Amino acid sequence: MQKIISAIVEDIGKVLLGKEHQVKLALACLLARGHLLIEDLPGMGKTTLAHALGQVLGLSYKRVQFTSDMLPADIIGISIFERESGQFRFHEGPVFSQLLLADEINRSSPKTQSALLEAMEERQVSVDGETRLLPEPFFVIATQNPLQQSGTFALPESQLDRFLMRISLGYPTREAERALFKGVDPRAELAQMTPRINSEGLRKLQGLVHQVKASDSLLDYLERLVQHTRQSAECGVGLSPRGALALLHAARAWALIHNRGHILPEDIQAVLPAVAGHRLQTDGGDGAQLVERMMHQVDIIAA
Amino acid sequence: MTDASGQLRSLLPRESLLWVFAAQFVVLLPHFVHLPSWLIFAWFLAVLWRVEVFRGRRAVPGRAIKLLAVCLAVTGLALTYRRWFALEPMVALLAISFTLKNIELLSRRDAVLSLMLAYFLAATLFVFEQTIPYALYGVLCLVVITAALVALQGSGSARAGRALGLSVKILAQSVPVMLILFVVMPRLGPLWAVPNNSAAASTGISDSMSPGDFSQLSKSDKPALRISFDGSVPPPEQRYWRGLVYTHFDGRRWSEPGVTGNRWFGRRFGNGQSGQDGDDRLPAVGPRYRYQVIQEASHNPWLFALATSDSDTRGVRSTGDDTLVYHMPVGSRLAYDVRSWPRESTPVASRLSPAEQRRHLQLPDSGNPQARAWAEARRREGMDSQAISQALLALYNRSFTYTLKPPALGTDTVDEFLFDTQQGFCEHFANSYVFTMRAAGVPARVVAGYQGGEWVEQQEYLLVRQYDAHAWAEIWLPERGWVRVDPTAAVAPERIRDGLQSAVAEEFMQDALLPLHKIGFVNRLRLQWDMINYRWYQTVVSFDADRQQGLLKRWLGEISPLRIALFLGVPVAVGLLGLLIWLNLSARGPALPPASRVYLRFCQRMARAGLPRRPGEAPGDFARRIECELPALGPMAARITAAYERAAYGDSTDALKQLRRLVRGFWPLRQLAKLGTAPAPRQSVGQ
Repeated sequence: MQKIISAIVEDIGKVLLGKEHQVKLALACLLARGHLLIEDLPGMGKTTLAHALGQVLGLSYKRVQFTSDMLPADIIGISIFERESGQFRFHEGPVFSQLLLADEINRSSPKTQSALLEAMEERQVSVDGETRLLPEPFFVIATQNPLQQSGTFALPESQLDRFLMRISLGYPTREAERALFKGVDPRAELAQMTPRINSEGLRKLQGLVHQVKASDSLLDYLERLVQHTRQSAECGVGLSPRGALALLHAARAWALIHNRGHILPEDIQAVLPAVAGHRLQTDGGDGAQLVERMMHQVDIIAA
Repeated sequence: MTDASGQLRSLLPRESLLWVFAAQFVVLLPHFVHLPSWLIFAWFLAVLWRVEVFRGRRAVPGRAIKLLAVCLAVTGLALTYRRWFALEPMVALLAISFTLKNIELLSRRDAVLSLMLAYFLAATLFVFEQTIPYALYGVLCLVVITAALVALQGSGSARAGRALGLSVKILAQSVPVMLILFVVMPRLGPLWAVPNNSAAASTGISDSMSPGDFSQLSKSDKPALRISFDGSVPPPEQRYWRGLVYTHFDGRRWSEPGVTGNRWFGRRFGNGQSGQDGDDRLPAVGPRYRYQVIQEASHNPWLFALATSDSDTRGVRSTGDDTLVYHMPVGSRLAYDVRSWPRESTPVASRLSPAEQRRHLQLPDSGNPQARAWAEARRREGMDSQAISQALLALYNRSFTYTLKPPALGTDTVDEFLFDTQQGFCEHFANSYVFTMRAAGVPARVVAGYQGGEWVEQQEYLLVRQYDAHAWAEIWLPERGWVRVDPTAAVAPERIRDGLQSAVAEEFMQDALLPLHKIGFVNRLRLQWDMINYRWYQTVVSFDADRQQGLLKRWLGEISPLRIALFLGVPVAVGLLGLLIWLNLSARGPALPPASRVYLRFCQRMARAGLPRRPGEAPGDFARRIECELPALGPMAARITAAYERAAYGDSTDALKQLRRLVRGFWPLRQLAKLGTAPAPRQSVGQ
């Protein structure tokens, strides 16, 4: 099992050079059955990451480019009257896929955003009074441009909470960029990629995540972290129970990726910025810095 | 400067003001009795002014008004008392300082000052009274003052429940300290004696006796003496507590020249009697009776004891008249130990000195001719002193009545009593007896004191009340010396045997508002209460330096600085240690899992080796840092960390054992020393 995971990480690493940590985070997010929000400038490889994940995991992959005039039906699908059969037939929207890349989600109107987010949470859509289950596994990678850019609608906190993680890719390292210049073509690599796992195997992997052990010592540490976010004067709003659970799940997936049967404090610390960063509200400042300070203030062993 | 002084200087919280006033009122209340009324009025005025300031209706008084107030107060004190170095003016000075402080009670510092004064004033209460009710009231004062101090902290602390609760808690915590200090604090004598007020009205035996005095006393059931015996107890008819001897008669009043005023000037030694005075007069054989007398405040110097007594208590001495006196008026309860030898057992002086003879035969030049004639007639019949006495007592016994309400007497009191009214109280009998005996040429004197007493709590002590006041006579017989003769016994023997109540029956305490003495239950309750008071006095108030020494000796064996230090230090040390342990335990929070405890020990050792774990640093990261900064320890640290991670997070018991073993053998400093690598002192590696 571990071989498969390291093979997946390695494969994606060929496409997305020097971003192993982010790749692992994305993989952990997927294994923890969460959705991923990538916030970065255009051209940093967001789409490449999503594409590579879909490719290597053997998932049906669809991509939606969000625009300001999009309607919910453009994502979910629409019932169209067919003359031949004399009936309405439901044309599935892009949401009916295993891996959905929702590009630039914050460019669309809140109405459309919430339609997608509802589907993410419920893992089903209701159209014309009929409930349709989304395929399993269902994984959304949404990208958003930094909010300062024009033509964006900020995602409200309640909807940010639906994403298990928020990561940003950042500029590539010098070596990675040099390799890029030297003609490593990610697209060609992408095309050559073969699935390392099928959806059955993926579901099994997801099941294994739940078997990763969280000891009392670790839960103590988790509790202290959560308490800190709720009591510290720095955090406007502390982590919700859903946020705390998300942290635990993500840490489990991270431990699994690192071939451990139990969670270590390092696992929590590794996923903490990604899981808690967008959930903690600060007064204008960035949640990531807050999380960084928090990791240094809350001791792992003693209160 | 500092926060604390800044806080003290800051303004007084408004709600605390009422607390300060309440504390002042509680402390001043018992003093209202003896403080001049203008002072109490001034206090109310000052409080009123401060309240007006508080409500914003009036400004804080300026310098001129304050100065005027000080001048007025000082003038008032000077006019009221006319002397400074006495107790009452001092208390009044404290009270007036309260009053004046009130008008400039602005900051916390002022309030703290005022409350400290209140503590002091509360303590002065015990200069006046030391009884149980006052002690309880003193505790109440402490509670209120401390609550007021608590209320000064502001922000909700002024709420009655909270302030009082905290105050009571604080005081309760101080009780052990109080008890220890009560026992071991050295009892210092007063540095200077502030004269007590001698003008206070006194009930009890006074320095003179005229008809009617003792029947007045018989209306009071206040305690006068409490006497506890050590060993044998005299029989009831021998319980004559002699207080004062009257030798001078002016025709109406018996008195003792020289005993008035604060000090006893009437020590008449010399005159050939000095040989009989002092200890050498007392026999070498042990005293028949040993007892302790606790005397209520009488504001007179004379003390009470059986005939022929001696006392070792400081300040007590004997007089030539065989009585005991104190070196100053007894202003508050006084305890003194007495040894008494009955007269029969003491050697007899052969004769009275001429001066003593004159003194004890003194009579006014004129008056009471009938009595003089009667005495002369007996003398002419050839009777000796004893026979004359017998004849007179027989006369009493024949036709006299013992009553608390004798008819009024005119100028010749003795004549009228002996030959006309023939009804009287003890002083009438003593008066007429001594007069007649002197007229017959027998040296005689009136003795005033108490007779009898009532047992309390299975003969624990004898309670003598004011209504036990009694007057009797003593005559000089050449062969026997001074002999007690109680003329009252001749007419009403039950008075001597059973006390006043049975002797006068209906007349007893007739004027009392409530005839409580007729209800047995109430009497028992009163005796109970008296006993509680007695024990309070015995254990608390009279705990002086001697008793302290005795108690410490009993506890410590011997009193040496080392033992005292141990006696004080050990409980304090034990208490502090207990507190420390308790604080540590309560601060630790829930117990850590064993693996974490062992790992923390590892971290401590690493810190001693110069590489402490940073807060929030995960074990794995720490191990990598150790590998990087102290490579010699790297492999060991990695193994320990791996074991810890499996033990704490994988819940593996084997790993826990391994971790224990590894950490037990992990001494980074030794290992580094062996390798010759100096421990890197907290170096931070810049990569």
